[in-house]
Amino acid sequence: MPELSVILAGFGDALAPINLLFILFGVALGQFVGAVPGIGPVMATAIAIPFTFGMDPLTGIAFLVGVNKGGLVGGAIPAVLLNTPGTPDAAATALDGYPLAKQGKPLKATKMALFSSITGDTFSDIVLITVSAPMAILALRMGPVEVLGLMLLAFAVIAGLMGQSLVKGVVAIALGLMAAMVGTDPEHGSPRLIFGNYELYDGLPLASVAIGMLAISELLKRLSETRGTVRPAITLPRNQPRADRSVSWAEYWGCRFTMLRGAVIGTILGALPGIGSTAAAFMSYASARQASKEPESFGKGSLHGIAASESANSSVMGANMIPMLTLGIPGSVSAALIISAFMIHGIQPGPFLFSQQGQLVYGLFGAMIIANLINLWVGQLGLRFWVRVVSAPEPFIFASALLMCFVGVALASGGLFGIGVMLVFALLAYVMSAFGISVVVFIIAFFLGPRLEISLSQTLALLNGQPQKLLDYPFALVLMALALVTAVALARRRDTESETR
Amino acid sequence: MQAKTSDRLLGLCLILLAVAFFVSIIPWQAQAADYGWLKPRTLPRILAVVLGLCGLALLIRPPGDVRPGRFYWARAMLFAGVLVLGLAAMSWLGFVLVAPPMALVLMWLAHERRPLWLVLGAAGMPAAIWFTVAVLLDRPLP
Repeated sequence: MPELSVILAGFGDALAPINLLFILFGVALGQFVGAVPGIGPVMATAIAIPFTFGMDPLTGIAFLVGVNKGGLVGGAIPAVLLNTPGTPDAAATALDGYPLAKQGKPLKATKMALFSSITGDTFSDIVLITVSAPMAILALRMGPVEVLGLMLLAFAVIAGLMGQSLVKGVVAIALGLMAAMVGTDPEHGSPRLIFGNYELYDGLPLASVAIGMLAISELLKRLSETRGTVRPAITLPRNQPRADRSVSWAEYWGCRFTMLRGAVIGTILGALPGIGSTAAAFMSYASARQASKEPESFGKGSLHGIAASESANSSVMGANMIPMLTLGIPGSVSAALIISAFMIHGIQPGPFLFSQQGQLVYGLFGAMIIANLINLWVGQLGLRFWVRVVSAPEPFIFASALLMCFVGVALASGGLFGIGVMLVFALLAYVMSAFGISVVVFIIAFFLGPRLEISLSQTLALLNGQPQKLLDYPFALVLMALALVTAVALARRRDTESETR
Repeated sequence: MQAKTSDRLLGLCLILLAVAFFVSIIPWQAQAADYGWLKPRTLPRILAVVLGLCGLALLIRPPGDVRPGRFYWARAMLFAGVLVLGLAAMSWLGFVLVAPPMALVLMWLAHERRPLWLVLGAAGMPAAIWFTVAVLLDRPLP
């Protein structure tokens, strides 16, 4: 556990003017991209990472965290106003947000979404700050065999929960790991799968793969679907009674148990790899409706419905950072992108992070709390501006995003070769999406591939050809057994679901 | 194309890919080594086998959960072609000269016809990117 002076110094760093400025910029950018259907904070994070190269590590990572947090708020705006979620996790928000907007109370709906989002986000950030240091101490006791077991468990969960079928999940993992094999073999130092391109000696550039698969592929899909229709302009009613355009303290406080339930659900699911904010939002919504004294009011503009969805989907983010910071294992693609941002700045997330970079970690925690406050402020002020943004034409938004992808990847990879790799993986992702193979699972596997190979190599060296030595690592055995049980259980669940369909 | 048929086709492609990796690509692109527990070819070969087995599973029991026919392949390839041509042109002319016409073509193909948005996209956005990257961040554009 870092010393108190380090913790206080970290929190103090977060208050530096340059960090506050970039948190503000990140949150504003996040709300903007969250509000525009088709872009989203994940894509924006992938594009923004190369632009953080020249920044101080805390500044750059706080900026990216701001983008993610802003995106969670921004996604609710078109969900409420247009019944078109800006991000998938806002789909549950639309169930009650849009009906409330149609009743002539769009500001009330968006403000409830904003307040619930901030509440859930703050809850999970507090859990993160409290739990992560003790977890890092536990993680320090893990050797390569335990790390291998943990990775196998993470892969089993991710393959089983993300995407449409377990087999396709395994395909995504295998393809991602194969892509991770490109470069230099870690044990022998020999080039592998580089096809004579020495630019690939260090492996495929992460920025090229991530931006190509997450951003370019999605933009190609959206561009191919454009039909020349113009999105409707939205006008917010003026001169409304205060009760219809704001959320009173009584209304907010009346939803406290709903928000708390949503925050707990989101935090638990967020700490587990592969589940994500969309599932958390819907689980919380269903749970709130079940627990409600007026379940028939859900789907008709209930504030509890909005509160349940938004508190859950926003609390996933902080919890996602728990395995990311303590173990270096991303539970979501956003976390994988943030890990890559750490690595770009020469910092390795994992058990040693707290002891070696304690001031940075607590600076990040401080930045996350500050980002919540700025998110609230920008959300309150920026609502009328975001409404205009939502009405901007898709061709303009998508063409601009494509240009930014080109520039971002060129900056990250040092030239046009990286852009070529980006386009190749964009096409691969397009084909994968068409056949139901998860791109997110691919990216997580690609990211974890080198580490998996190293821990496997070290494990084999420790076992020295004697499998019975695995018994000396009971925790690792438990993790591997859990991985197997999880894979079988999820496969059976998929079988049952496909039979009932 | 029926969903299960497309899954079977995917399975067949995966089997062919796995065989190509195992028999040809890996021996060609990964060195043999006679020391160490994890040789350069070991993990790629395991992954090739996994891909082949998954392909077999898809052939035998296709989940039938997606329909690739819902994707607009021709239009997507058209836009991809514009990006590839743009990349080729950038290697010769640079970002500043290529970005405006590339953005214009992309918006035009996406059915945008309003002059204001075309100008904003073809001139305004590349200018903003140039200013941000080359002036504010002092980094070279491609």
